[in-house]
Amino acid sequence: MDKRKFAGLMAGAILVLAACSSTPSAGTGAKGPDGALVKRADIKIEVVTHGQAIDGFWGVVRNGVKAAASDMGVTVNYNAPAQESDMPGMSALIDAAVAKHPTGLVVSIPNPDALSPAITKAVAAGIPVVSMNSGSDVFKKLGILAHVGQTEFQAGQGAGERFLAAGVKNAVCFNQEVGNQALTLRCNGFFTGLGLTDPSKGKVLTGKISDPAGMQATISAAIQTDPTIDGILTLGPSVAKPALAAVQASGKTIHLATFDLSADVLTAIKDGKMDFAIDQQQFLQGYLPIVILTNYAETRNLPTGDGTGLIMTGPGFVTKDNAADVIALSAKGLR
Amino acid sequence: MTISAPTPAAARSASGPPLLEARNISKYFGAVVALEGVSLTVHSGQVTCLLGDNGAGKSTLIKTLSGVHPPDDGTLAVDGEPVVFTSPRDALDAGIATVYQDLSVMPLMSISRNFFLGNEPTIGFGPFRRFDGAKAATIAREEMHNIGIDVRDTEQLVGTLSGGERQTLAIARAEYFGARVLILDEPTSALGVKESAIVLRHAIAARNKGLGVIFITHNVQHALPIGDTFTILTRGRSGGTFKRGDLNAEQLHGLMGGGSELEELQADLEMLARREARGEDIPAVPLGTDPDAVPIADDTGSS
Amino acid sequence: MATTTASAGPAPERLRTVSLTQRLLARPAAGALVIVVFVFIVFAVLSEARGSSAFLSIAGILNYVGVASQVGIIATAVALLMIAGEFDLSVGSLVGFSGIVIGIVSTVWGLPIWLAIIASMILTTGLGVLNGLIVVRTGLPSFIVTLATMFIIGGLSSVLVLTLTNITFIRIDPDLIAADPLAQLFSWKFSFVFDGATSDLYVSVIWWILIAAVGAYILGRRKFGNWITGVGGSPTAARNLGVPVARVKVTLFAATAFSASILAACQSMQFSSADIQRGGGWELQAITMAVIGGCLLSGGYGSVVGTAFGALALGMANIGIVYASINADWYKIAIGLLLLTAVVLNNWIRRRFAGLR
Repeated sequence: MDKRKFAGLMAGAILVLAACSSTPSAGTGAKGPDGALVKRADIKIEVVTHGQAIDGFWGVVRNGVKAAASDMGVTVNYNAPAQESDMPGMSALIDAAVAKHPTGLVVSIPNPDALSPAITKAVAAGIPVVSMNSGSDVFKKLGILAHVGQTEFQAGQGAGERFLAAGVKNAVCFNQEVGNQALTLRCNGFFTGLGLTDPSKGKVLTGKISDPAGMQATISAAIQTDPTIDGILTLGPSVAKPALAAVQASGKTIHLATFDLSADVLTAIKDGKMDFAIDQQQFLQGYLPIVILTNYAETRNLPTGDGTGLIMTGPGFVTKDNAADVIALSAKGLR
Repeated sequence: MTISAPTPAAARSASGPPLLEARNISKYFGAVVALEGVSLTVHSGQVTCLLGDNGAGKSTLIKTLSGVHPPDDGTLAVDGEPVVFTSPRDALDAGIATVYQDLSVMPLMSISRNFFLGNEPTIGFGPFRRFDGAKAATIAREEMHNIGIDVRDTEQLVGTLSGGERQTLAIARAEYFGARVLILDEPTSALGVKESAIVLRHAIAARNKGLGVIFITHNVQHALPIGDTFTILTRGRSGGTFKRGDLNAEQLHGLMGGGSELEELQADLEMLARREARGEDIPAVPLGTDPDAVPIADDTGSS
Repeated sequence: MATTTASAGPAPERLRTVSLTQRLLARPAAGALVIVVFVFIVFAVLSEARGSSAFLSIAGILNYVGVASQVGIIATAVALLMIAGEFDLSVGSLVGFSGIVIGIVSTVWGLPIWLAIIASMILTTGLGVLNGLIVVRTGLPSFIVTLATMFIIGGLSSVLVLTLTNITFIRIDPDLIAADPLAQLFSWKFSFVFDGATSDLYVSVIWWILIAAVGAYILGRRKFGNWITGVGGSPTAARNLGVPVARVKVTLFAATAFSASILAACQSMQFSSADIQRGGGWELQAITMAVIGGCLLSGGYGSVVGTAFGALALGMANIGIVYASINADWYKIAIGLLLLTAVVLNNWIRRRFAGLR
């Protein structure tokens, strides 16, 4: 093909793709109350999280966002950096969202030190901000209106207490993203619930979420090295799967539990291979902030949760008793 | 287009020591004998042709002469004094410039930048010493004009020049930077007849200016008209040095290719022709005295 | 001297006067400039269409220029190295490593931040020199060598961090940063305030432009720049002309590593933290910028100014997607299409205006 035609084609392709792809999930039909400060149709909310929607966990969050946008009848854009841990990238995305002067901003805060400058600028610019998923201990001092999520420490503690009640004597926690403070809190809470006075002395295994085979090998090695291990807590379903495989390969009876849900996790719980899963109900973490910001924009109504603005979506515990119901919903990306 | 009549060799043979001399050079690569006991001299105002078939060791000898790698045995002498080259820079500083068959010039760089690569003129002092592009452009244009290529835009990329022009540029560059010995490594092997002629003219022009020229080739037709002395290289060893007029083209060819191999090749080809005439199959296996070759029935029908 | 007939015949067509436009378009950076303008127009139009004029505002400009400057800081040296015919795939790992050294020396060992920054620069540049020495001594393709060192250095960061601190992410005290004299060079920002909204011009932008200016100056106006292009054209031919090929290559590998350490300093000071995953994948982004900028993968041709344009184009696309309210998933597709378009365009321009067959 003639080179110039090819270049023109490429340029055209970019333009067409760009024009065709539309993110704004605007609902249809829903109208706000009469006398509201803004009209529903004029409300534009920006969501910036650290999770790409292709991730199993964040896919559910995004479904919650989409559902809320549709139910509320507002326009919502979802953005995330290409890599979960890219804080400079996420900070720039927040700046960009702020420059669009949205009606409201939703953020996750996996790393308060890196993101607080950008969030502070957003608040200073007069944009209502609601945080979700991570940052429950810092949102207040950053000027954020509310936080929708699960307090990591308490959730971990709940898991630890359950293990203790089940008779676990030697448990490990697997952290697949060392540096994410939320995950560190989960492990710390876990060990506290187990009865350790100094949670930092608890045994933590580490790995990379992008390498399931490696994680499985790490867990297998740990089980073989220390045969007294009788409890493992993983912090995500992508880790629970290799952990399951490692435990089954070892042939030992080891209590296994995880944070967050997936089809494999739910099936394992139903079959008795896992004790329970801690469900932070991330669909609500995507859904509720949109509702809160819409209400705030229209009438300045703002729920205060536990009094400080903390609105808990978890921990919910999915056990053998209720797993079956949840399985169908998880397959649809709603749990 | 005629080449100027060569000045009689006697008139040009130098009275002083040779500009460059290689004495009994040997070079080994592991178990392979690339060169053994090879000697070569070139005097001012003379063209020394180095002839040899592919793989004879010509390139290795040239690399030794231009400082790319040191000889394992033997010495080099410039103006009669022994020298040791540790890098091409040393050879360049001693006035020995080499123009290679491929890539003596960079097609993606401009003419002026090519001309001055490695010898860039500068302007300014201390940390602000910059490449003097204007001066380079002016001189390059002048030198190109002197060798007969009129370039209006010295910034045009060398890739726009023809093969012959590129070689000519390389020769002009070598002369400009004070080469006293010009080594031309197979300069015409990749060129057509017309372009080869241009390059040969410039080689002669350089010789007439008093440079010593070493002209490496496997093409006897090109070497014969311009050479004053001819050194043959066969399988890393010298096959003798001859003066102009001592041997004719066929004899030179014979020495180069190895006479016996040429005769055998002739015999094999004649046998193949006879077989074809009789309508027989032509064997696929190569003929010859290669000990690993499969023996073929000869004309008499016996193995 | 015998006159040749070279001046008659084919020569006259080369005697045409070359117009200024043609000379400008013959420069390697021409294609990149076209791409930048194209990307700008596309996203300006799309943003306006989606009801946001932010892409054209100062806030928007500062935003994408800031993003461009991150990888842009390392792209200049990567481009120079590519022009010299080599690749440095380890530069991304070097950014992470460099940041971790800063974090460990300052937070874990409690030493002053200026010392941490200097130590990280020395160590990182040292690794770059090592890259260069391995390449010139072994004669192996730099693609392979730096692929290996990419893994080694990345692993080194992990090992260091997990041995010495137990977390892959090190927090650096913002108060210490504010008090440290050297840290200011990397944490400085100028805030523009419009209607209560703050937009920042980060010092990383200044570093990016400064490094690009120095790189362009060296490539175009210094002997060393001519050597770089010559080495890329043919290392053997350059060596035969007396160019110190090994010295040129090792210097350039040191340059890529040094720029990585500058980027790491900017990031760790700006975001009060160090993370081993920083810089991951950025070696490919830097190469993308260089290729958009007109650098040939085979070496011997290219432009630092063009590379800077390439960085700008990618930054605009990255952030423009947000302003245009386009699904972030389209970003990768956009990058790939942009790269293809840029290469075809560059090739065409080169053939048409620089006269290369």
